Amino acid sequence: MSSHDSVHRLYQQHHSWLNTWLRCRLGNAADAADLAQDTFVRLLQRREQLELNAPRAFLRTIARGLVIDHWRREELQRAYLEALAQLPEAEVPSAETRELLLELLERIACLLDGLRPKVRTAFLLAQCEGLSHKQIAEQMGISLRSVERYVADALYHCYLLRYEP
Amino acid sequence: MNPSPRVVKQAIHWMLRVRENGASPQLQAQCEQWRSASHEHELAWQRVHSLQQEMNLRAVPGAGVVALQTLENSQQRLHRRQALKLLGGVVMLGSAAWVSKDIGLLDPWTSDFATATGERRSVRLPDGSLLNLNTHTAADLAFDSRQRLVRLKHGELMLTCAEHPLGPAGRPLLVQSRDALLEGFDGRFVVRQERDCTRVTVSQGKVAIHHPGPAGLQWVAAGEAFLVNAQGATPVAQQNMDPGAWADGLIVTRNMRLGDFIDEVARYRHGYLSCSDDIANLRLSGVFRLEDTDKLLHLLPQTLPVHVSYRTRWWVRLERQA
Repeated sequence: MSSHDSVHRLYQQHHSWLNTWLRCRLGNAADAADLAQDTFVRLLQRREQLELNAPRAFLRTIARGLVIDHWRREELQRAYLEALAQLPEAEVPSAETRELLLELLERIACLLDGLRPKVRTAFLLAQCEGLSHKQIAEQMGISLRSVERYVADALYHCYLLRYEP
Repeated sequence: MNPSPRVVKQAIHWMLRVRENGASPQLQAQCEQWRSASHEHELAWQRVHSLQQEMNLRAVPGAGVVALQTLENSQQRLHRRQALKLLGGVVMLGSAAWVSKDIGLLDPWTSDFATATGERRSVRLPDGSLLNLNTHTAADLAFDSRQRLVRLKHGELMLTCAEHPLGPAGRPLLVQSRDALLEGFDGRFVVRQERDCTRVTVSQGKVAIHHPGPAGLQWVAAGEAFLVNAQGATPVAQQNMDPGAWADGLIVTRNMRLGDFIDEVARYRHGYLSCSDDIANLRLSGVFRLEDTDKLLHLLPQTLPVHVSYRTRWWVRLERQA
């Protein structure tokens, strides 16, 4: 059976269940319908044969990842708007720059997913603020060696996600 | 062939050392030497380097503090949501409840009258005057034996003066904004707190702007509009928009710039709404209902060469139609 056929069958049997599952998590029907659709699109893009012993658990795993991506995007936008609102008017970037930055932040947030909070913060202080490791150590109240290790760990983590997913 | 974990970590180590210690020629030379030792080294170095470039927030002007704040805050909230909804799955809030551009979140609790973004309200005041509040507005009332004072803390209000105020020598009807003290006599006027000034528009009757400066008192007649700031009151041409139509749930425009129109609509919505520069100068006339701004946006492509693009429900951008 081709992978397309099995996706088709999964769709017929489980689409409305998945829709309901997503609606419970997202609290709104439009986003749930979008993400249900995305889940099946993801499946179609997979080249390997589908593992269909536990189809709902399988769909749920993919859908859960998409829900988190969706929330991450929403939370980023929200936090970004709040951060912008605190800037003096003269420093608010143009619409184009805002779009650009938000896209970049989304990419970075995905790569940083799963890092421990301290590792993440150390890395971001270096990356966003351009602080030296010594300054970061002072600001976070940890040793210079720890900062060096954290920043290197974070980069390695991103490397793996980026090049060896 | 992917470089081994050991080599990738070495590449990271070299890159961080070079970044930390600036352009020490000796260090540069050592780094070059390591890179040229094998193809694997060079590949790992190139990848780490371009990863570093991809994530370089300092390349975007003005990104620094905002980026850090955004990433940290959003991550915390994301964790909370995941814990609540994916693991527990108990708490179900409509997602509209939380997306908010309002920083003054406490206002609804500490003001006499307040509206949320997208909400409008009308209130009959004790003297019979009618107070309309537009979206995201907060106001306090101070009625006593000497005066009838409405304090506009932020947002926009419309005041329709009572037909028969309590006698000609009665208590004055006042509106105070951040920039101005206004006195209404009869008729109807709109006061809008903008970022750095207050806009006063009179549709019926007349209003006096009391100003502490040498100009003293400025009268505004029906059909006129003034901007008031610390420097004084300046008459302005009427906008290409009916200033009080929102009280009826409408935006009424005459030949209004699309960019201005979109800014206006954004006031009624949560999240982010913008339009690209190449369509901002298109002109627009019409009557639009405010009750559903998504529907309103979807009407625009019928008359203008624009396309509404949703990145999420809270991030909407108008672009030129391809």
